[in-house]
Amino acid sequence: MKQKSTAWSLCVFVAAAAMLSSPAIANEKLVELSRKDENWVLPGKNYDENGFSPMTQINAENVKDLRPAWSFSTGVLNGHEGTPLVVGNRMFVHTPFPNTTYALDLNEPGKIVWTAKSKQNAAARSVACCDVVNRGLAYWPGDAKVKPLIIKTLLDGHVEALDAETGASRWKMENSDYKVGSTLTIAPYVVKDMVLVGSSGAELGVRGYVTAYDVKTGEQKWRAFATGPDKDILLADDFNSKVPQYGGKGDLGVKTWEGDAWKIGGGTNWGWYAYDPKDEMFFYGSGNPAPWNETMRPGDNKWTMAIWGRDVNTGKAKFAYQKTPHDEWDYAGVNVMMLSEQKDKEGKQRKLLTHPDRNGIIYTLDRQTGELVSADKLDDTVNWVKKVDLKTGNPIRDPEFATRMDHNAREICPSAMGYHNQGHDSYDPNQKLFFLGINHICMDWEPFMLPYRAGQFFVGATLNMYPGPKGDRQNYVGLGQVKAYDAITGKFKWEKMERFAVWGGTMATAGNLMFYGTLDGFIKARDSRTGELKWKYRLPSGVIGHPMTYMHNGTQYVAIYYGVGGWPGVGLVFDLTDPTAGLGSVGAFKNIQNYTQQGGGIMVFSLGGKGEYQDPKTDEYETAVNGDKPATVATKDD
Amino acid sequence: MKTSSIAASLALIAALSGAPTALLAYDGTQCKEPGVCWQPKPGYPEKVAGSKYDPKHDPKELSKQGDSIAKMEARNKQRSDYFKKSGKFVYDVDKIPK
Repeated sequence: MKQKSTAWSLCVFVAAAAMLSSPAIANEKLVELSRKDENWVLPGKNYDENGFSPMTQINAENVKDLRPAWSFSTGVLNGHEGTPLVVGNRMFVHTPFPNTTYALDLNEPGKIVWTAKSKQNAAARSVACCDVVNRGLAYWPGDAKVKPLIIKTLLDGHVEALDAETGASRWKMENSDYKVGSTLTIAPYVVKDMVLVGSSGAELGVRGYVTAYDVKTGEQKWRAFATGPDKDILLADDFNSKVPQYGGKGDLGVKTWEGDAWKIGGGTNWGWYAYDPKDEMFFYGSGNPAPWNETMRPGDNKWTMAIWGRDVNTGKAKFAYQKTPHDEWDYAGVNVMMLSEQKDKEGKQRKLLTHPDRNGIIYTLDRQTGELVSADKLDDTVNWVKKVDLKTGNPIRDPEFATRMDHNAREICPSAMGYHNQGHDSYDPNQKLFFLGINHICMDWEPFMLPYRAGQFFVGATLNMYPGPKGDRQNYVGLGQVKAYDAITGKFKWEKMERFAVWGGTMATAGNLMFYGTLDGFIKARDSRTGELKWKYRLPSGVIGHPMTYMHNGTQYVAIYYGVGGWPGVGLVFDLTDPTAGLGSVGAFKNIQNYTQQGGGIMVFSLGGKGEYQDPKTDEYETAVNGDKPATVATKDD
Repeated sequence: MKTSSIAASLALIAALSGAPTALLAYDGTQCKEPGVCWQPKPGYPEKVAGSKYDPKHDPKELSKQGDSIAKMEARNKQRSDYFKKSGKFVYDVDKIPK
């Protein structure tokens, strides 16, 4: 144990020494760490958030030999979204409420180095819309003065920084007030010496914002809202200058609402961030307007439902593109942003951002200007929109699938869950393919009036959900898909149906593999070139998180959280049977309980199950026999 | 009068052609200015205040979030200011030395 502490301290010392010997800032250190196979330091491994590992030890030819190497129970049974982080010899694990954090020793996998059980108010659970999930942790690599930190969010709205070596709390700030309906489920995001945090609660009329805190002190650096006057939204002088057709300055965040409705207008961001270190811009999506009942909020409702590109230093927006103006279906625009550099159709090399949206469109933008490069349907069954006009950016809607008071709109595709939800997907830069976990769910939608009361649900619609046209509506399966997508040609190289929604997302490797978990409890690997199913393993519970991979002592591991729940599992978690309960998810997933039950933990795989415990003496406890001295037991660090 | 006659004619053409009657509804193509394209659906008001769809928001309820955010920001500032000054983090602002 002492030697392990020394090893970790040495790691910290080396990191600190690197800081002293060069002007490198923490940001650059994080970039450096993210490039190594041994680490997975961001939700999608790197700032591109492409969820791609260049490792090939596990590949399409040998993946059939993948076996469990070790596992760990988190002790929590609610839905486990996101993925753990790995830095050197440590795996950092998060849980849903009560948001326990574990640091595990990868030399004795599963052994707990420290546990952080942060205090928070359990009343926050009553205002969480869709189970009590959390999407992950952030790692800050330290500098000459402050040791590395783990940053976490708590459901009751706090942001906390922990010493990565000991788990001791360094600072804890209030970001969201659950008493007015605002919670935190997002994974914090470290950029430079700041940590970015969003907010949740649009289903309770929460006005969304993103905030940057000084990672060392917790001091607020800036805060940018999604609605309201320009000064609150933080718009750069050249905001949307390259894309004036999207709308510009002039308080559109107020004028596109009636009266003060923007104050309770939603636009929370609880999904994922991506960052371009060269341009010092970060990208994310703002969520749905509140309430869901569109008749109650006339106007375009800016700037909910937008893709944002902001200067990370000032928080000021360089561009914003509203994908679903005046949303009528809860197509919250918070999904993953994946960065790539590719040639467009004209052969021009461009810095791109690709975003599979809830509304069933996958958008690719020039991330320096905000210009639309492509906008394709995630599935040909999307029907609320005919197409997106690439010049204006406007979705050309099909009024047949519009929603409004005194009308029960039927057969809308996608459902409020979107054809893609919070899953963190991946991109293989070698094949130039995005691997997408898809929902295949449609809905009927009937609005109703309700008053706004701070801290109470503010939705105003009754939903019935069911499998999309390609699914099995008799048996309520065929609710998901996986697809490989080329953002330049707009073509899907391959696509496969799944029994349930592929809620958690995907991970890709240079071994020509893409991995993902399923709600019914499998982790699967497909040949990323063809979609051929190469391997699967039955987990203790369904999956709503995304896989990750890391190298340790020369062995490549693949890890994934199991723990069904989240929005699709809310009926299972809370034992609900009314098909319209859980904002409509109970009906869609009424068969899930026949395939899996609650659980919570991590399963880790390697070829042949190779790993620390192949030697049965690893971490073994031996006692004295007949007065003899205990035998010395060798471990990796001895 | 002339405009309404044209609209009626268009509706009649739509009906005769079998097209959905919502054909003339909000489809995102009629923009007043860049980024401002919403239009009320046929039969629904442009402003809901005073209509049967008026949510009748209570200004006191609408101000609660803003008030809460301002108080949280003030408490956080006290915490970070003292942390920077003393090197000691104190969460309970009532216990932060003045």
